[in-house]
Amino acid sequence: MKGSKGSGTRWIKGLAFAALSMVSSHSWAGLYDDGKVFLTGGVFTVDGAGGGGAVPWATITGYETRDGINGGVGFTYVQLPNYSLNFLGGSIGFFDRFELSYVNTKLSTNLGNVDTVALVASVLNVDNNLGLDPNGSNLHMETYGAKLRLFGDAVYTSDSYLPQTAIGAFYKVNSTKEFVKTLSAAEDKDWEAYMAFTKVFFRYSTLVNLTVRYTSANQIGLTGFGSCDNGHRNCNNDKEFRVEFSTAYLLQKNFAIGGEYQQHGNQQKNKPVDTGDLLAGDGNGGLLNPIVGGLVGGVIGATNLRDSLVQNESDWYDVFAAYAPSKNYSITIAYLFLGDIAVAREQNGLYLSLHATF
Amino acid sequence: MKAFTRNLMLGAALSMSALVATPSFAAEEKTQPILGITSSALEEFGGREGVRAWVESLFYYIMLDNRIAPIFREFGNVERQTFLNTQLEIMVLGGPNEYQGASMSAAHADLGITMAQFNAVVEAAYNACERNVIKYHTCNQLINALAPFTADIVTR
Ligand code: HEM
Repeated sequence: MKGSKGSGTRWIKGLAFAALSMVSSHSWAGLYDDGKVFLTGGVFTVDGAGGGGAVPWATITGYETRDGINGGVGFTYVQLPNYSLNFLGGSIGFFDRFELSYVNTKLSTNLGNVDTVALVASVLNVDNNLGLDPNGSNLHMETYGAKLRLFGDAVYTSDSYLPQTAIGAFYKVNSTKEFVKTLSAAEDKDWEAYMAFTKVFFRYSTLVNLTVRYTSANQIGLTGFGSCDNGHRNCNNDKEFRVEFSTAYLLQKNFAIGGEYQQHGNQQKNKPVDTGDLLAGDGNGGLLNPIVGGLVGGVIGATNLRDSLVQNESDWYDVFAAYAPSKNYSITIAYLFLGDIAVAREQNGLYLSLHATF
Repeated sequence: MKAFTRNLMLGAALSMSALVATPSFAAEEKTQPILGITSSALEEFGGREGVRAWVESLFYYIMLDNRIAPIFREFGNVERQTFLNTQLEIMVLGGPNEYQGASMSAAHADLGITMAQFNAVVEAAYNACERNVIKYHTCNQLINALAPFTADIVTR
């Protein structure tokens, strides 16, 4: 009796599931759409939105047309001299009009000076909440995005200069709060907004995009937003307008090469890493001095270490090649010129991104 | 039945226009793409014969594509459309306007063509370029010149 009752509910559940999947697969079949022309949805940006490598475009992600839904998942790996980054996320385009995106970003550091600070802090057993790890510190951020196409058409109205125009926003949550604070940022989570203009000039087989972003991000938010003086004082997190530019030349219907420029702020410029007591004061005032002297045999003193921990930020540049062998996936390879990132100089390196679309 | 009467009417219209044969019959205008198209586009397509060959390939790929072939089978007439498309494409590529067919809106308005179907024809167009060894960059001159018709053709 008990058994039959159990199988009865199971049966009902099974039926309900079957009915549900029938309904959903039916409506899905009706809404699923991959009718867009090659690469015109853009690829997977570091913010998750459809666009180039770093710059969100006005085009809506995925291969859907105005009659359906499409989207995909993306993975990007970046290798720089002192950092490596992973971006894993996805985006969905609705009716070539609206887009939702998500990315989970991890930045791993390979910085001798920062590791030293972390090591000393742990040896001294001072709990300064620096958020540092002697074996290499990590930054972690999640980005939620939405984009709305307002007017214009990038592809079809080739007899008009009116570009496709969209507005979008990101909400970025950096969960490595202590590290971000140590890097003197004012906030570990914040929003940013942008307006993008995209046009394809078929005459020259070229896509051109201009984006203006309203933000206070440091390194797209990976090192937080805004900045403070040491001790988390005099914080400033005022947003400003920054310009981004992206162009792609189509060599083939499914192969493009191009370049990007992204203006960055420099709010953490000359801000030392905020190590609290550890590196405080001049000369031999800091707790760290004698230890570092001992550790590295006096070759590099604490003052040198402190100087090496001064931050800077540069505008980003990149050149890329994007290839879409089919409408189901694209591969983007880029070389990045990211300049100074936090305490490391001249961070140039390779970028590899895969975007699978369904 | 509907398709039959349509084709009958079209056939009649075609033979009439062939009889009247007025070159001034211009139901469709040359498009005005921004920045224009390369002046050598028609030549790079292989001239009139090249365009004709390209249109043949175009319909070959269209009729192989299950997403759109049924529409052409039901409402179209490949022979007539090959003839008229050749005229139209010669015109938009910078040649003389000898187009004798209906305007793009008149020809497509009641077909309820979707964006995805339109893009399927665009894919066939690129395939036809590749098949006929027309450079991608040259092919884009034609895409450039035809793109403004989208609004007239895609009505759904
Ligand atoms: C830029 C793209 C296109 C161009 C330049 C074009 C051109 C033409 C031309 C010149 C005609 C002949 C008009 C006449 O009979 O007087 C025609 C008819 C037709 N086209 Fe298109 N066309 C385009 C896109 C499409 C698409 C996307 C479809 C469907 C998926 C389509 C389906 C048809 C059909 C079924 C006819 C025959 C209509 C009839 O005879 O009543 N066309 N087209």
